[in-house]
Amino acid sequence: MASGIRDKVVILGMGCSEFGERWDCASEDLMVEAFAEAVRDAGIDPGEIEAAWLGSALDDVNVGNSALPLATALRLGPISVTRVENMCATGTEALRAATYAVAAGACDIALALGVEKLKDTGYGGLPLRTKGLANDLWMPYGSAPGGFAQLAGAYSARHGISAPDLKRAMAHVSWKSHQNGALNAKAHLRKAVSMETILEAPMIADPLGLFDCCGVSDGAACAIVTTPDIARGLGKSDLVSVKAVQVTGSHGWESQYGEWDGSYVRNTRLSAARAYAEAGVHDPRQSLGLVEVHDCFSVTELVTMEDLGLSAEGRATFDILDGRYDRGGAVPCQTDGGLKCFGHPVGASGLRMAYEVYSQLLGRAGDRQLGDINLGLTHNLGGAPFNSVAAVSILGRLGD
Amino acid sequence: MGDNAILATGAYLPLLRFDRTAAAKALRWSGLGGGQKGRRAVAAHDEDALTMAVEAARLATADAPAPGTIIFGSTSAPFTERAHGTLVGEALNLSPDIRSLDVAGCRRAGFAALLDRLGQSGRTSLVTTGERRPVKPGSSQELGWGDGAAAALVGPGEGLARLLGQASINRDLVDVYASAGRPAPYAAEERWVRDIAVAEILAPAIRTALAEAGVKPGDVTLAAVPDPVSGTYKAAAAACGLKAPNVCADIQAAAGDLGAALPLFGLALALERAAPGDVVLVAGFGSGCDVGVFRVTANPARPSAGPALAEGHGFDEYVRLLSLEGAVDLDWGPRSEADPKVPASVLWRGARAMHGFIGGICRKTGVVQFPKSRISVSPGSHEIDTQDDIRLVEVPARVVSITADRLNFSPDPPFHFGLIQFENGARVMMEMVDTGRTTPAVGDAMRMRFRIKAADRKRGFRTYFWKAAPLARPHLEA
Repeated sequence: MASGIRDKVVILGMGCSEFGERWDCASEDLMVEAFAEAVRDAGIDPGEIEAAWLGSALDDVNVGNSALPLATALRLGPISVTRVENMCATGTEALRAATYAVAAGACDIALALGVEKLKDTGYGGLPLRTKGLANDLWMPYGSAPGGFAQLAGAYSARHGISAPDLKRAMAHVSWKSHQNGALNAKAHLRKAVSMETILEAPMIADPLGLFDCCGVSDGAACAIVTTPDIARGLGKSDLVSVKAVQVTGSHGWESQYGEWDGSYVRNTRLSAARAYAEAGVHDPRQSLGLVEVHDCFSVTELVTMEDLGLSAEGRATFDILDGRYDRGGAVPCQTDGGLKCFGHPVGASGLRMAYEVYSQLLGRAGDRQLGDINLGLTHNLGGAPFNSVAAVSILGRLGD
Repeated sequence: MGDNAILATGAYLPLLRFDRTAAAKALRWSGLGGGQKGRRAVAAHDEDALTMAVEAARLATADAPAPGTIIFGSTSAPFTERAHGTLVGEALNLSPDIRSLDVAGCRRAGFAALLDRLGQSGRTSLVTTGERRPVKPGSSQELGWGDGAAAALVGPGEGLARLLGQASINRDLVDVYASAGRPAPYAAEERWVRDIAVAEILAPAIRTALAEAGVKPGDVTLAAVPDPVSGTYKAAAAACGLKAPNVCADIQAAAGDLGAALPLFGLALALERAAPGDVVLVAGFGSGCDVGVFRVTANPARPSAGPALAEGHGFDEYVRLLSLEGAVDLDWGPRSEADPKVPASVLWRGARAMHGFIGGICRKTGVVQFPKSRISVSPGSHEIDTQDDIRLVEVPARVVSITADRLNFSPDPPFHFGLIQFENGARVMMEMVDTGRTTPAVGDAMRMRFRIKAADRKRGFRTYFWKAAPLARPHLEA
């Protein structure tokens, strides 16, 4: 049994650009914006970084192939630079790579940076694929909301939840994120909206209306990681450590094998179980002070509450409506506004989630600061429920 | 006449039926649109002459011996260099070493091929015809013509009907033409067409065929004679002494003139309506005519023409009709700009499995999957090459998950897709069609339909695959 990476690596500094329609910025500018904040936070010279991982998901509309755009934009010097891509879980994948490198002793200080520039496509939603692959001979060209919307009907069928109840809970998910996003100066959408507005919005992919869907954004986020000893040597005392990072990917079971009922995301369950074991979390409902989950669509957040073990099966609808995941609830979720309102620059999102947990743990979250918390979780989901990559990380105070 | 008989027939219409009076209303300002009543069968955006001919062929070949020859007939075949007969064979999962050919050139091409095969003793042949013909908005053909398909299986045996006599007349009567320079039809003056078609073509051929069959005009029970213009059959029948009602008139009223598919559709409908012993007269018309006189020996085990006419989804939005016809090119925005190019080498590797919907069944575990893979999806399996072919087209299937996707581009929104579970264990993410804009529910039973998977408009190419459609169609109000 592997010993895992719990407390072997700490976060020395983090940065996050403003997310949104950054008409003023290219990808390179966004990377510099996030990087400058992280370097200031870490208190190091950029020349001390020994290896870097760039997360970017959509090479045809973003920085392109390899991590050379990162090395060039940040003038990192002749160090190892690598691009990683794992769909919408790309940001966490970059963090995982940097964390593993430090934990393995391959380098002392490593950088993970995620960036995506999506607003230059000229239309809403994710860019269209343009490659002719064998799968194109048979697989439907569905949109991202179309893929996730299918959770709703399957969830209702499994748990006997009526469509109106589910729709109200989904609306509450988005309502709550808008409440939180309004308090976040870096968020893409900083406006509270009413439940009526959400419920009456035009349909995008049944039963997801406009406000059940996150948009896509421009943005970058990054983390500089090192060992606890090096961090202490740099004079850091209040340290946030990586307790766990786990990634699980589909291998055809959901989409080709006849067992899955379509109502949950199995990879989230598997990654969460492994992450809880790695971090030594025995009761996530009690231990986790906040969660930042992949709320690409409201229904995704709803089923994720069960997949992470925070709600009992079939109960997420009611827990959500009871305010359990509101900022003042038992397990605050998306305190920064989530994908829904902070925004979703795909390659950056996993690191943006970590940025919020890190900020909350260090008491830097401003108007949305929670009380005393020790552990936070990020959940970063790529693909679609039937063909997904689920990344779960747990961050907490070193030594707790 | 040879020993071959009509062994089976199949008739297919697309789900959509346009109310012709709605066009008259939309076009009233122009004086076009005429006074046509009834409905026109309208192909979905992902149907063409080939896909519909495959559906008709499925019906004609169900529970029947595999044909040794496939003949595809159409005047609106999507390709001029790519054999549709070959694609029909792949869609039906027939052996690649059978003979296949395409016939075209006029509306009677498919029926002429059928008569030809009836004269070829001992060999089983499938003749399948489909039409989706381009038309000009406001033309009489826009409303008078329809989209659809029909097929017949011919071979040794008692079958459903035997040919008693036949006749052909080849004359270059240009009642309507279409050409590379003008793909939409250009029609001649209707009263002239009717007079010449009756006097010089139909009536002489009908008399000759009846004489060869040894059948008196009054003994013909049913006719299936396309009306190139209204009243043609009526006049020809009067000239020849025929009393039989014309089933093609019913088809043309309810679905439209189906071009090359009309004679075979008429044959299928006549065989469903006739009784054993009856005599049916069928004609193909265009650049002359072919007439066949048949003695009915049995009714089809599973009627398809009658149900096809009675079931469908009506609509009255003229602009939607124009869009489906390709007569207006709506600006669907950047999301419609995806480039669906498929390299020919990728198509070569995958297409036979796609066209035939061939998945794999693991010899070790019995797990069925699509597409096949070197290593089975069975949990824990790591052995290589454990799967045999298995066809999924006729396997009962149900919806596991579904959505009506309104963000994704579709030429006829919404775009329905989701997971389909087959009774044998296979599970496939599929597009769903023929929903009539009503989203099927989790658990609903579905059937497979052969459709255009991707249309590469830039390069004039299209790929084909199967999509899931609701098992039953709604009944059309009379």
